[in-house]
Amino acid sequence: MAQARLILEELKRNHVTHVIGLPDNSSAMLFSLLSTDQDIRLVSVTREGEAFAIAAGLWIGGKVPVVLVQNTGFFESGDSFRGTITRMRVPLVCLITYRGYAKLVGWRLEARGKALDAETLSRADLDSAALITEATLKAWGLPFDFLHADEDVARISEDFWKAKESEEPFALLITQDMT
Amino acid sequence: MLTKHELLEPLARLRGNAVVITCMGVTRPWASYSESELDFASADSAMGHTADLALGIALARPQRKVICLNGDGSMLMTLGTLVTAVQAAAKNFFLFVIQNDIYEITGNQPIPGAGQVDFAALARGAGFSRIYSFDDANSYATSLPEVLSGAGPVLAVVKVEPGSEGPISRSEREASNYLKVSLADWGRRMRRALNTRDPTN
Repeated sequence: MAQARLILEELKRNHVTHVIGLPDNSSAMLFSLLSTDQDIRLVSVTREGEAFAIAAGLWIGGKVPVVLVQNTGFFESGDSFRGTITRMRVPLVCLITYRGYAKLVGWRLEARGKALDAETLSRADLDSAALITEATLKAWGLPFDFLHADEDVARISEDFWKAKESEEPFALLITQDMT
Repeated sequence: MLTKHELLEPLARLRGNAVVITCMGVTRPWASYSESELDFASADSAMGHTADLALGIALARPQRKVICLNGDGSMLMTLGTLVTAVQAAAKNFFLFVIQNDIYEITGNQPIPGAGQVDFAALARGAGFSRIYSFDDANSYATSLPEVLSGAGPVLAVVKVEPGSEGPISRSEREASNYLKVSLADWGRRMRRALNTRDPTN
């Protein structure tokens, strides 16, 4: 698991001006730090779709936004993400917490490449949000990497570099609760 | 009710150096009053998220007014934005809800709550303190200088006549400059313009 403090420091290293998002249990610690931070402004939204359009506006205005949402919230944001970030080629770094990841790892071993079906998607011991996360990101044209623990925090800077170079968004999937 | 001309002409005269974000039924008409590089057509974009985009620009450039000409159908899609704008204390954010009670672009179907929905009341409930409602051209033209002065966020509901704008595209065939290029190209252009004009803001 990664420390929220290290993630915040990495965001500052990349001159982030605004974090827009909605908290969940995984990101709660980072939201808590951001709520009192003097350098980065936290913009709380009522629904995740708002976050991506606000981020696009901030980028047009010359700022460096980051969106911080749960994978479920990313699904909700589909048209907002497509119609603003993708269409405008905003080099946005998205931090997406990966609800259900722990159960997903066990299922992958069991499934051995089996396609998703209705039975799997409705299983009580799995989280369907996790089952469709990576496939959705691929379908929506959002390249991603993983942030599992402290040693992965530097990937945030790598994503900023990649986003800037290619003029496209990148996501980091945060697989465990921040501490 | 106002005509689109009665809505847009005074606004074009008084906008000064404000950013103006348009969507839906006023996108093309606005371009006949303004060709500023600080105009942005939220067309071929995200459905219902025009006000969010405008709010983002307002937060990025707090010294510059940002006027958003949002449709009533678009506003209904993201009512939470009213709460977010107040929470964000965007003092330079001027949100106009153009209420014609129809989805004009798709053939004038009524919006949910047509004739009943009260955007001023919704804004009041969200915490807006400066709220205006207009349904005649004279009071609108007389009050517009006051609407655009002072601190926001401001919400202005303007009732306009139903129009007949068809689907909006982005292509060379469009007469409006801001519709001739892609969303990405216009976004970069506006970003350059804002950064050049407000280098320290």
